[in-house]
Amino acid sequence: MASKGKITKYTGKPAKVLQSEPAIVIEWPRSLAHRHTYGKLSPFFKGLTEGRLLATRCANPECGEHRLWLPPRADCPDCNQPMTWEELPQPVIGTVHTYARVEYAGAGIELTTPYFQVDVELPGVCTIFKGYLQYGTLEIGMKVKACFRTEDPTNTILDIYWIPVVNDADARF
Amino acid sequence: MITLKEGNLRIPRWNRKVFAVAGGLTNYKKFCPEMKLEEQVMVAFRQMLENNDLKLSPVEIKGLVNFLACGEFADHFQDQLLCEAKVTDYLGLDPIYDIGIKTGGATGGSTVLTAAMAVASGYADVALAVGWERMSEVDTRTGNYYIANAACKDFETRLSRIYAAYYAPMAVRFAWAYNLSEETRAKVAVKNHLYAYYSPYSQQPGKYTIQDVLNSPMSTYPLRFLECCAMTDGAACMLLCDEETAYKLTDKPCELFIAGGSHTLRVADRRDMEIPLLPHETADMYKGLRKKEGQRWPGFESFAASRFAAYFAYRMAGITNPLEELDLVELHDAFTISDIQTYGDIGLRPYGQEPDYIESGDAYFDGKCPSNLSGGLIGTMHAVGATGIFQGIECLWQIQGKYDKFHGDPKIWESFGKRKPEDWKSLQVPNAKQALWVSHAGVGSHVTVGILKKAF
Ligand SMILES: [Zn+2]
Repeated sequence: MASKGKITKYTGKPAKVLQSEPAIVIEWPRSLAHRHTYGKLSPFFKGLTEGRLLATRCANPECGEHRLWLPPRADCPDCNQPMTWEELPQPVIGTVHTYARVEYAGAGIELTTPYFQVDVELPGVCTIFKGYLQYGTLEIGMKVKACFRTEDPTNTILDIYWIPVVNDADARF
Repeated sequence: MITLKEGNLRIPRWNRKVFAVAGGLTNYKKFCPEMKLEEQVMVAFRQMLENNDLKLSPVEIKGLVNFLACGEFADHFQDQLLCEAKVTDYLGLDPIYDIGIKTGGATGGSTVLTAAMAVASGYADVALAVGWERMSEVDTRTGNYYIANAACKDFETRLSRIYAAYYAPMAVRFAWAYNLSEETRAKVAVKNHLYAYYSPYSQQPGKYTIQDVLNSPMSTYPLRFLECCAMTDGAACMLLCDEETAYKLTDKPCELFIAGGSHTLRVADRRDMEIPLLPHETADMYKGLRKKEGQRWPGFESFAASRFAAYFAYRMAGITNPLEELDLVELHDAFTISDIQTYGDIGLRPYGQEPDYIESGDAYFDGKCPSNLSGGLIGTMHAVGATGIFQGIECLWQIQGKYDKFHGDPKIWESFGKRKPEDWKSLQVPNAKQALWVSHAGVGSHVTVGILKKAF
């Protein structure tokens, strides 16, 4: 015989009804935090908080690709051997490959809109590096300089940003 | 992979022929509270079984199905794992095996590819390709963030959290490299919104002018809202079978070929490489392509995944000159720019001359090889998991000569609570024999190219 001693109680919050016509639509809250590792790329993200831009290079002499990778990769996609870290010399000056001006951003955006997103060619790097511009405007072919959020770092890719290089003084470290 | 070797370039081959015989769609809309996901799939499934002039009853056809490929882009949207099991059960196809397919925006195309492989290999005589998406489970900005998880989360997602912002740099670069005007981009939007006007299934029909498009609010410069697809709730189903069953089921089967290509998620990582040539191209054509500084192929201008998929699909289907041999195409116009970039990848124009496909008039209903008569993604729908199936079905109906039957019947309009426009016109391509569709993910991370050939 079932005991009446322990009653199962409802401890949740009733679902909010958003509409009932032509069908019942309820709110289904979701709030959660994932754990995400930077894995073997941790030196890169640590480097940003210290004002350093780290790239990787394949150490295998047999491999056909000897340029730097940025975003870095711990392992070479061509020969599948581990890569080694290298710091780009300061100041890091790149050329604008292309850009976009974000006016309408998705939920959770951490930058004030509108802002420029920029894809930067860097000397000796086989890839193109995406970031954002702190101020100014862009055109293809112009020079930009890397800056770092060493104070109050975000511990994300937003710790590196770019500024326009208008004259020689801007290019100084 | 920069250097492609013989094995990488082996042309895919079916072990036996594969045919498409029927399709079904839903009313595509931003928010469909009146139906749950599986109930929407049922709408498409019923249209496929009941309205495609099949020679067996729906119950008899269900008795032939022995494999399902199920396309769904993101568990984020459905917020329900194993939707495949719910759908298969709801359609009354238990315990037939279903496999969930997931390749971003190309999910629909990959779903058809998977179902085709099941038939070609002999695993199944009759396979169902079914896809869906319920994007209205979240508000639009959250939906944009979900989709932006299809950019690299470590290096790209936080830089905008909306997909238009990953295509906008391509639009800027393409315009600079290949001389593309904003007006040409706007013409793609005008055309596809207009073709959607003739479709009862469409979500964003409209008679716009170039100026309307250019005046519409900016999403990410240079892409404006009227140049972008919207979030959609909806589903689509396509029935594939072997040769014997195809002719048993219909008088109008179409032979199917489909292949895919993939490329790294981050456009930035796409190093310069040799261009795999289509049957009608020569290496000489591209000698001057990288004339500007920093030029690379595919770079930000083109999609190696689309080129690779076309490289295979044309050879599988025996197509030697796409513009001459294809009667229509359905392209993945998630954004005007992605549509234009694809013209070069699939050889409707040589690389560098993509805008001419629009400017010449070839892309229009009366043109040489009209594109997106369905209204495409910009005009009709992008319920992601269903999109590549919807596009294939529109191609199938065109070849079967059923554009009017499926777009002009006032009863279909009424069943969706719409009224057929007084000035409705038929977009049936006369005597269409071959059609192609492109299903495309990410900024070109996965692409399938499907080809349907008249087999009656
Ligand atoms: Zn290597």
